[in-house]
Amino acid sequence: MLRWSAGSPWALVAGALLVLVGAAAVAIYAGLYNIAADVPHPQPIYWLYETVRDRSVAARARDIVPTDLDDANRISTGAGLYAEMCSGCHLAPGMKRTEISRGLYPRAPELRRPTDLTPAEQFWIVKHGVKMSGMPAWGITHDDELLWDVVAFVRTLPELTPEQYETLVKNAPIHEELMQEMETKQSGHHE
Amino acid sequence: MRNLRLKSTSRRLLLVAGFAGLPLTSAVAHEGHHVECNETAINALKADIQAVGEGEAKTTATKELEAAQQMMAMNDMEGCKSHIHSAMEATEK
Repeated sequence: MLRWSAGSPWALVAGALLVLVGAAAVAIYAGLYNIAADVPHPQPIYWLYETVRDRSVAARARDIVPTDLDDANRISTGAGLYAEMCSGCHLAPGMKRTEISRGLYPRAPELRRPTDLTPAEQFWIVKHGVKMSGMPAWGITHDDELLWDVVAFVRTLPELTPEQYETLVKNAPIHEELMQEMETKQSGHHE
Repeated sequence: MRNLRLKSTSRRLLLVAGFAGLPLTSAVAHEGHHVECNETAINALKADIQAVGEGEAKTTATKELEAAQQMMAMNDMEGCKSHIHSAMEATEK
């Protein structure tokens, strides 16, 4: 049986925990932690943020099965969507950093660089977004097919030259038409 | 006569417009590597480095950042700018 007399080790641990929680509460209430986006997190906090994010995405993307990502139509559609929805933050081959990409914190990853993420994880991120990162949940406005198109294109991005990127975007279907098509499909399903 | 005056006025206008556009063009040309040495620039660089994956680029950028901070502490602004520039280049690789 545990004994909670004043000098017992349990009482000391409980006391120390209480002091820690109290100190954290005071620090939060006093606004000691700087949440400004132009002052980066200390490395341990950034590591914690990245680890929580990566583990959360991996756990939730486990059961997602990718569709055909090599399909040329998918890649072409994804190119147009990427240029409109993503390139402002994630940039593209031959593109200089934009004002928003320089101001976002954490920085949006430059997708011209190869990634460790699986297609399923990329799909999950595009669909659900990431809290407190500026990454929106595109799944609220776009159906899964269009989001897989974006993933298919993003997978090819690191291999593209600036010229190839430009050509793909120029020949991509128009975003508004894709959205109309999606809405027609959805209203068909509801009828 | 009037036509001549008009022509010369429009030429002058074109010249002025041309010169007015020059500084803007040069600012845009240097946009990619405009470097300052201050707390904001150091913090922005730290945020850039955090986003770079582990590897040689990150190691180089981190070393250059540390050197820039040392230079800034010693009030050597040119040295600081030079290291910030090198760190930026490493993060862009």
